[in-house]
Amino acid sequence: MGIIPLIIWLIEDLLYVIIFPGLVTVMVLAIIIIYIERKIAGKVQMRFGPLWVSKRIGGALQSVADLLRFSFQSFIVPEGADRLAFILAPGLMFAFSMIPLIFVPVGPYYSLLFPAGLTVLLSVALILVTPIYAIVIGWSSDNKFSFVGSLREAFLLMSYEIPFIFSVLSMVIFYRTLNYIDAVASQYRFLPGIILNPVAAVVMLIVMIRTTGRFPFDITEADSELVMGLFTEYSALFFGVGMATPYVELYVYSLIFSLLFLGGWWPAPLYSPGPIMGLILPGLVVVVKAFIVMTILVFLRSVYPRYRLDQAVRSGWGYVMGLSALAVVISILEVIFL
Amino acid sequence: MSESSAKERKLRNPIVGHIRALAKGFKYLVEPNRMTLDYPAETMKLPPNYRGFFTVDDKKCIGCSMCEMICPPQAITMIPRVQVQSGQTVPEGAGQGKKTKRPVVNWGRCIYCYFCFDICPVDAFVPSGVHDLAFYNDKDYRPSYEEYLKPPEEPYKNSKKVVSRPDLKRGVGYEPAP
Amino acid sequence: MSERVYNIEEAPNIDVSGDRYIMLQIGPSHPGSGHMRIKVWLDGDIVVKVDPDIGFVHRTSEWLSERREFIKAIPIVERIMLPDTIHANLSYITTLERLLGLEAPPRAQYLRTLAAEINRITSHLYGIGIFGIFLGSSTVYMWAFGDREPFIDLMEMLTGARITYSYIIPGGVRWDMPKGFKERAEKVLEYMEKRLKDYDDIWVKNPVVQSRCVNVGVIDKTNAIRLGVVGPNLRASGVYYDTRKHDPYAAYQNVDFEVPTFKNGDAYDRLLIRVEEIKQSMKIIKQVLKDMPEGKIIDEGTYKQLNPVMKKVYDERARVMFPAFYNHMRPQPGEATGRVEAGRGEIFFYLRSDGGKYPYRFRWVTPSFRNLPFFTHVAVGYRLADLPAIYGSVDYFPPEADR
Repeated sequence: MGIIPLIIWLIEDLLYVIIFPGLVTVMVLAIIIIYIERKIAGKVQMRFGPLWVSKRIGGALQSVADLLRFSFQSFIVPEGADRLAFILAPGLMFAFSMIPLIFVPVGPYYSLLFPAGLTVLLSVALILVTPIYAIVIGWSSDNKFSFVGSLREAFLLMSYEIPFIFSVLSMVIFYRTLNYIDAVASQYRFLPGIILNPVAAVVMLIVMIRTTGRFPFDITEADSELVMGLFTEYSALFFGVGMATPYVELYVYSLIFSLLFLGGWWPAPLYSPGPIMGLILPGLVVVVKAFIVMTILVFLRSVYPRYRLDQAVRSGWGYVMGLSALAVVISILEVIFL
Repeated sequence: MSESSAKERKLRNPIVGHIRALAKGFKYLVEPNRMTLDYPAETMKLPPNYRGFFTVDDKKCIGCSMCEMICPPQAITMIPRVQVQSGQTVPEGAGQGKKTKRPVVNWGRCIYCYFCFDICPVDAFVPSGVHDLAFYNDKDYRPSYEEYLKPPEEPYKNSKKVVSRPDLKRGVGYEPAP
Repeated sequence: MSERVYNIEEAPNIDVSGDRYIMLQIGPSHPGSGHMRIKVWLDGDIVVKVDPDIGFVHRTSEWLSERREFIKAIPIVERIMLPDTIHANLSYITTLERLLGLEAPPRAQYLRTLAAEINRITSHLYGIGIFGIFLGSSTVYMWAFGDREPFIDLMEMLTGARITYSYIIPGGVRWDMPKGFKERAEKVLEYMEKRLKDYDDIWVKNPVVQSRCVNVGVIDKTNAIRLGVVGPNLRASGVYYDTRKHDPYAAYQNVDFEVPTFKNGDAYDRLLIRVEEIKQSMKIIKQVLKDMPEGKIIDEGTYKQLNPVMKKVYDERARVMFPAFYNHMRPQPGEATGRVEAGRGEIFFYLRSDGGKYPYRFRWVTPSFRNLPFFTHVAVGYRLADLPAIYGSVDYFPPEADR
């Protein structure tokens, strides 16, 4: 390989990570999904939702205004806090919630720095790193509410990690690959994963709701019990970053969901060369699918109150675990008999 | 005549419950049925009996101090005035006539109970139909008598005026004021 | 469903010193506390002791009302229980009328019943909404507060104010029903009946709510009586007691309604009983609107004392103005008590006059204060996450308890 193709390759990688479907897309989508969440809640609750910031376009700039407000607030570090951990943890949490995106392709053109062979495995492993920083936050804040919140996060993490892995595993067994592109290709050949193994899809959805703290599993930051849960002591942009992290996680999970269960970039052509047909078009299809999944999940806020911790943990070790095991069994049976 | 009824509660099956809850939420999502008012772009035209800011009819008032006596938060102060020939009053020393008193309301204390309206033997108080008014500083709460006589200015003059009406779909509907 | 770990009997006697327990201070500035501080000791996730620290909104209301003329106590009693002002007002006036020897004419009694029941509905909706946000459902919070609006709108039509009505005066009420009130009220009731079905789907029979509330915060009949619980919380434990039935005031002996009770005495029953009471209140309002007698809205004695201008106002606008003696009302020396069933329970006033301008003693007993010991005991043994469920279901209103 010559030096010039290498440079082009590196620039493409950077664009991939920074612009599409990386950082910039994530931020834009997070802002849009927060706005949509509030607007949906407004509709169901028989009111306007955000409106008066940019009234002509229905208050669409409300999230941007919130972001600006967060950036100009003063940041307070509580006296008893572990200073370094307190300052670093939200940023790291945000960063680690974004890193799995490197391994989640949105089109066949993805070849890039990292060998594509084990992308499913690597992305799943990296996704499960993020909640560790939630525990760091709870520990460093020197606040009982944050501490209780982080303990809750730990309990829930333990109980929902294994169903998540099982759910992915069942699809991996079925597609017989650890690579997203091959998984999508195999869905092109048969049917979307959600039809092949609906149980795994349901488990995955439950885990997504749980991990990203959507209702009815909004347990770690239950405001009537724990003020703001983990982020009780945070202010300014750190608080904003902390609030955005679940949405980034939601985006990553939704991408994985649409790749594994919704047929990836179907109906765009499976393999086509070049960045336009190979990345932008299939990428848009995947992102739109992920966005629809996100919208459905944020809609739950306007329907449900929240479960109790012990109920959520019990269901995690109980029927969700059972369902995920069932999903694996279904996949094995399908692999044997189809 | 029925007295008491010990009720049996029936719990709904969780699966049915989830489906009905989601369906109901979805129904409200696709059929938005807003019950709020787009304040301050739309403001209410208040009914005539609404207890908002009020002022006093300078000619009708007889200066009897009954309102000052009944005012529960002691918001009303009677200030000495002089009633001139035309029936209007002027500050002391500004004219010749009968010595009398007139009420002034401290808006910071007033609780809008309208006891002063009801105790007034000549029915001299006049409601203004304004209620959504804020003051920028402490002094504005305590108008002088001349300021008090002017009806308070209504904020959001360019807003659309609406009145409420009963509505079977959203409880209270709003329609443009006549 | 969680089982209770600690016994209700030994609950207040647990020694919470030492490292085993975490103490959480919920409040006074906390989304789930209201205007009070709840000290909670936790054993892991289990609540072992609850110590409500009240008094943050104590406003010396009793003292204030003892240093004012009798008529001036009306706005003060209203301000202790803002979601429920008519009941405070009605209770005080019932007491004062007994002291003065006045009796309101039938139409005024019916209007009082009407206002009280409209207010009970808004009060219960307020309670349901707060319960909703405590469990995390912002939808039911918005809905309940939005659906108070039609009823507040009715009261605004009747009294000219939205919350602090000051509607009931000794010997009658201040305003008669305006034109078109009846039609409007009927439409609002029809709307609310339809809406209650939506509440069933989204909130009352939502599986998450059921699993959060069933068998949480259980208090049985004996303990409920022993701890002096009042109002809907008492009836949710299966005790049939309602001042409207046992000591009828206003026009309650003339209307047909039932007092719903439930058996289990958990948070879910306390939620259901409020929904049932809204239904009963709507039934009462319908009857009151139908049976409303004609006549004066103020008693003859007071009417005679109105001057000609006031009589003209009364005839033209159906508005009662105050005769001059209101300014210096001096009841005969003596004492009187009065109680009514407010939204949160029985409210009781004791009034004593020594013949002077001011009350000699004016004692208030408010329902939320009487529900407080119950709250101390009932949360023990459940999880921390159950605390908002219990607190919300009790429908405790701190300013009412602190006074």
